[in-house]
Amino acid sequence: MASLAATFGRGAMTNGWVDIKNADVILAMGGNAAENHPVGFKWFLEAKKTRGAKIVAVDPRFTRTASQADLYAPIRPGTDIAFLNGIIRYALADKSRYHEDYVRLHTNGPYLIGEGYKFEDGLFSGFDAAKGEYQKEAWGYNPDAKTKAYGVDPTMENPRSVLQLLKQHVDRYTPEMVERICGTPKETFLEVAKIVTSTGNAARVGTICYALGWTQHSTGVQMIRAAAILQLLLGNVGRPGGGVNAFRGHSNIQGATDMAGNFEILPGYLKTPTSAMANLAGYLDQSTPTTLNKQGWASMNYFVNYPKFMISLLKALYGKEATRENDFGYAWMPKVDGNYSWMYMFDDMYRGSSMRAGGKEPAPEGFVTFGMNPVGLGPNSKKMIGALSKLKWMVVVENLETETAQFWKAPPEYEGGDPSKIQTEVFLLPASSFAEKDGTFTNSARWLQWKWKALDAPGDAKADQEILARIFLAVRDLYKKEGGALPDPILKTSWAYTNPVNPDLGEVLKEINGRALSDLPDPKDPTKILKTAGQQIDGFGQLMDDGSTMCGNWLHSGCFTEAGNNTQRRVTADPTGLGMFHNWGFSWPANRRIMYNRASADAEGKPWDPKRIGIQWNGEKWVGDVPDMKPDAPPGTFGAFIMLPEGVGRLYSPVLNDGPFPEHYEAIEAPVLNALHPMVTSSPVSKRFSTDKDKYGTADKFPIVCTTYRLTEHFHYWTQHHKNGRLNEIQPGFFVEIPEGLAKEKGIANGSQVKVSSARGAIQGVAMVTNRLRPLKIDGKQTWHIGFPIHWGFGAAEGHRGPLANMLTPSAMDPNTWTPEYKAFLVQVEKA
Amino acid sequence: MSATPVQHLPVDAAVVAARDRENVIVGNEIVRHKRLSRLIHWTVAVTFFACVFSGMPIWSPIFGWMAAFFGGLSAARVVHPWAGIAFFLGSAVMFFHWVAEMVLLPSERGWLGPKALDYMRYVEDDSEVGKYNGGQKLFFFATSLGTLGLLVSGLLMWWPSVFPRVVLQLSYLIHDITFIFFAIAIVFHIYLGTAAEPGTFGSMTRGTVTRAWARLHHPRWFREVTGDDDSRRG
Amino acid sequence: MVMQSLEIRRSSASVWGLPSGIRTLPTVSKYIDTSTCIGCKACEVACQEWNDLRPVQTAQLGTYQTMPTLHPEFWNLIRFNEQNFDGGIAWIMRKDQCMHCDDPGCLAACPAPGAIVQYANGIVDVNQDLCIGCGYCESGCPFDVPKFHATTGKMAKCTLCVDRTTVGLEPACVKACPTGCLQFGTKDDMVALGNQRVSQLQKVGFKNAALYNPAGVGGTGVVTVLAHGDHLDWYSLPADPHVPILTRLWKHVVRPLGMVAIVGAVIGAFGHFTKFGRKEVPGSGDSGVQPPGA
Repeated sequence: MASLAATFGRGAMTNGWVDIKNADVILAMGGNAAENHPVGFKWFLEAKKTRGAKIVAVDPRFTRTASQADLYAPIRPGTDIAFLNGIIRYALADKSRYHEDYVRLHTNGPYLIGEGYKFEDGLFSGFDAAKGEYQKEAWGYNPDAKTKAYGVDPTMENPRSVLQLLKQHVDRYTPEMVERICGTPKETFLEVAKIVTSTGNAARVGTICYALGWTQHSTGVQMIRAAAILQLLLGNVGRPGGGVNAFRGHSNIQGATDMAGNFEILPGYLKTPTSAMANLAGYLDQSTPTTLNKQGWASMNYFVNYPKFMISLLKALYGKEATRENDFGYAWMPKVDGNYSWMYMFDDMYRGSSMRAGGKEPAPEGFVTFGMNPVGLGPNSKKMIGALSKLKWMVVVENLETETAQFWKAPPEYEGGDPSKIQTEVFLLPASSFAEKDGTFTNSARWLQWKWKALDAPGDAKADQEILARIFLAVRDLYKKEGGALPDPILKTSWAYTNPVNPDLGEVLKEINGRALSDLPDPKDPTKILKTAGQQIDGFGQLMDDGSTMCGNWLHSGCFTEAGNNTQRRVTADPTGLGMFHNWGFSWPANRRIMYNRASADAEGKPWDPKRIGIQWNGEKWVGDVPDMKPDAPPGTFGAFIMLPEGVGRLYSPVLNDGPFPEHYEAIEAPVLNALHPMVTSSPVSKRFSTDKDKYGTADKFPIVCTTYRLTEHFHYWTQHHKNGRLNEIQPGFFVEIPEGLAKEKGIANGSQVKVSSARGAIQGVAMVTNRLRPLKIDGKQTWHIGFPIHWGFGAAEGHRGPLANMLTPSAMDPNTWTPEYKAFLVQVEKA
Repeated sequence: MSATPVQHLPVDAAVVAARDRENVIVGNEIVRHKRLSRLIHWTVAVTFFACVFSGMPIWSPIFGWMAAFFGGLSAARVVHPWAGIAFFLGSAVMFFHWVAEMVLLPSERGWLGPKALDYMRYVEDDSEVGKYNGGQKLFFFATSLGTLGLLVSGLLMWWPSVFPRVVLQLSYLIHDITFIFFAIAIVFHIYLGTAAEPGTFGSMTRGTVTRAWARLHHPRWFREVTGDDDSRRG
Repeated sequence: MVMQSLEIRRSSASVWGLPSGIRTLPTVSKYIDTSTCIGCKACEVACQEWNDLRPVQTAQLGTYQTMPTLHPEFWNLIRFNEQNFDGGIAWIMRKDQCMHCDDPGCLAACPAPGAIVQYANGIVDVNQDLCIGCGYCESGCPFDVPKFHATTGKMAKCTLCVDRTTVGLEPACVKACPTGCLQFGTKDDMVALGNQRVSQLQKVGFKNAALYNPAGVGGTGVVTVLAHGDHLDWYSLPADPHVPILTRLWKHVVRPLGMVAIVGAVIGAFGHFTKFGRKEVPGSGDSGVQPPGA
């Protein structure tokens, strides 16, 4: 999601599930929606059936999604940037293939870039070879000398304009080069490009749908960037039927991320303070963006409200203890001093020392894992198991005895060592499952939807919030009785729930929404009171930075107002006819169904397509969807991308760690050298590790490309625990999909056992010989690729066990999100 | 006082003789079927009727009432294949028990045609009829073959999931057609053995026939058993 | 299984073998659009859940298909098939289940009165109380649907969720389908929907798209949209399904003729007796039977 935030301002699916039905073209790439999002996939088919939409599937495998596509293009795993840059090049070659008016109005295409930006020999300027990082200052804009605003060339002819730089950057991605890198036949690629760019105008709209097939690469963020750039060029962002639609991997991943699922963010994507930010003023100063775009088509730069969001969060965390005098308790917040993403944590655990604080900090000795199975889902399973066996203790909060909970029982091939020598004390706390508790799910479309408890949890299992509450209260009691280091963050935390031992989730949701702590006067008419003390606020627009409001997550504000719990709304009326359903659940931000919807209209506020109106200016205000714009700001006042300092969508994004434009780099393990710049073959800033377990294979020993994926029949590493369950019936065991040609070469028969090995280990399973995986010619050389699903493990129920797919995956990561590269690595295949 | 002597039931010498000997004369009677032969015959007959009564209600709902003998149609369907197996085993024993005596002589070929008709019109007069006439021999082989047909088709029908549909469909046809011919043959077998030819039934109950009966129906056999050349004497 | 005989159109082994239903209900049908089926198998699980069927022990055999054929505890199976097509590949997913034929071969072959019935709305159902588990229906079905259940000794197959549909609900599979490729309604509506989809497919290049509603069995209560209507084998569908001729021959020719023949044999014997009487043994009185104890 880092990528979408860096391009549009917010990191989430831009449109929504239902909105896909409004598309003319659907590019399904980097995801297999029919397999992993079958319910959402109905809207693909709706578009196909009701408006004759074209579905284009680009995937290493002919998937269930491809079976529904009008056009399928095979591609080598990990080369999506080359493919997308090829389409961008194809679009820019002819003005009829991209939406020029849109680009001029709603993107930074006309913006001028400083002379510091360069791209040479596979490296962007500012590369610090010693650190393996880019110094991003080199990529800055070139502000106008007089106005100090961004320099702009509306003709977009200036060679330093973003559009010209982009054109220059993608010029190398000819159809021939795409074929050389991706293996996609040139004709097929051109057909894809033609269909996709058919939406580069006002009349037609296309959407791009992706999922973890893009995210899980060492270049994952830039893959998504390439798609976002393409959509901006085609004028498809902000429009009904358009957008870059990220399909989340689980039913509530969006919610988890919104609520600070990662170490570097607080709820609502506020930044986690670092140890360098000693006080609140300093923190706010560094976190609140400024804009150079202050007049006519200025940027709303909505994040100027950052202090309101942060201080309201601090009020939610510390309650009455948070006062102006004590920086609203800012000092009690934990500060990070390095990378706490879990790949790094496991590396620390495994090595037994920390790289943080200059290596002065000890390695973690304990570990709490909550609803997560790192042994199963982490790359390089042997390292995961090795890391856990070095801990003193581990708490696993789970509804099943996962591989993590029983890591010491791993079969010998995982090299976990003698269980009797492993000293890790494991506590398994039984937790209830999603169906055994109330609460909300936030889906990919950012809809918060309340769900009701369906059945009681079995045995001693408790809901997550009760487990958390009991631990918190017990620790607080200990602090009260015995004191200890840093007591304030614990003792000052507000815990004002009716039932402190098991907080009601409705009450928690109210806290997330936020409320007035004292009477809030109407800013337009101070004699009026908008909200009296204690009332739920209507949305984040009412938040204050003086401690008079509290809010657990500004982004979700509006979910539980004085009108009630809006996530429980189930009104099926849809006056727009576009599937917006404004009275169904609550969609962040501000119940807006299509983000950046200002871009669905032209300079005068008229919709590009009158049949598919996002919002339009009626002379007084914006109407249609909830406007992503100041509702009464006439066209021409502000740019469409209100969260970005530029106010426009970023074709050029100088904030990511691996470059302002996407560039094709090979995966950490690839069968060939980079055809564009063999000296910089894989991403120069991608991350890898160096312990004895972090092995990386080469093409001479492991010539076959491999990818991993999920199956529609199973839910992650869960359903294998159901002995004789129906899902185990309909998809009974681990298998390896192998192309017919390769199977023939290796003498592997369909249904027979096959062994797949990588530099990190070997696994065995049933061969599924299929024509759905095609041989690809890469750089003129026949290259095979195979794939297998995750889901199985040694912790499953008797009769449903299988190898952990991640035994073979490498510890390599994207430099922005630290997401492992599960989707492209090298293996060898043989008869078992 | 002397004890009252035990009253023994009168012992029928012919019945005693018929226990384990055949083709012997006892007074005015000749033993035609010893006890084993009769046991085999009646085993086959009983299992046959078990098949008939359990099979016919499956064949057509008109005979649904027969299923009541077994406790309903489901039970009849369970009994039928096992009764069939029993019938087949009985028939197999019967086949080997009698096959030596059933060899069709060249002179008996006419039974396939006009001789059979003459026989039914009671005009046949053949002094060379042995223990079994040509019709009986033909009946023997026809029913043996029919039994085999019923067995094979029945076994195929027993495992409908295993065999191809067309094989099953053929099996039903073969089972049906075989049964129909079998049933017709049995009707005449019973008719001739009871109503039409007095004196015959006893050969399958007591095991004996009268000399006169033997002389009439099986003259050569009569001569062989009695050594009496005058087949017309009576 | 609903027991209201008023709603039964046809019944197996009925002596009359003719419609006995009094109530007329619109014929219902399931609509399957294989061109928008994603093979997610939600219908498979929904079928098992609703009908409370036990999971079958399966094994990965090198295909996405759950098991090779339908099973007495698995009445709804997506058949996966990969075919080279147009330089690329077609990955066919066809939902297989009872087709609820208008002229059901199973019903024609069934010997147990009332064990297989066709309701007035066209649903073909096995009455478990009356089924004798003989398996004749397997031979009569052109779609290889009914399966013998070894535990119950009865035949089992899709009931078109008659317990749901009679109270106005759609079948469980249709309810569970996430893409809308399954629909349920009157046969007329489903055929109209199918024809509409077929013409849509024909317009986007599938010239041989067709609606599978074979006339040989009088049409089916499951109408199936096929993108490749010229390759029925890709879908494991018979080209010209009909009640087998051998079944017809057996039931409608051989059986009545046989009955006549057997009865004829009895009458013949009786007639013979009246004409020729007994074949008396000469000179032994009126009976050749020796009195016992003589």
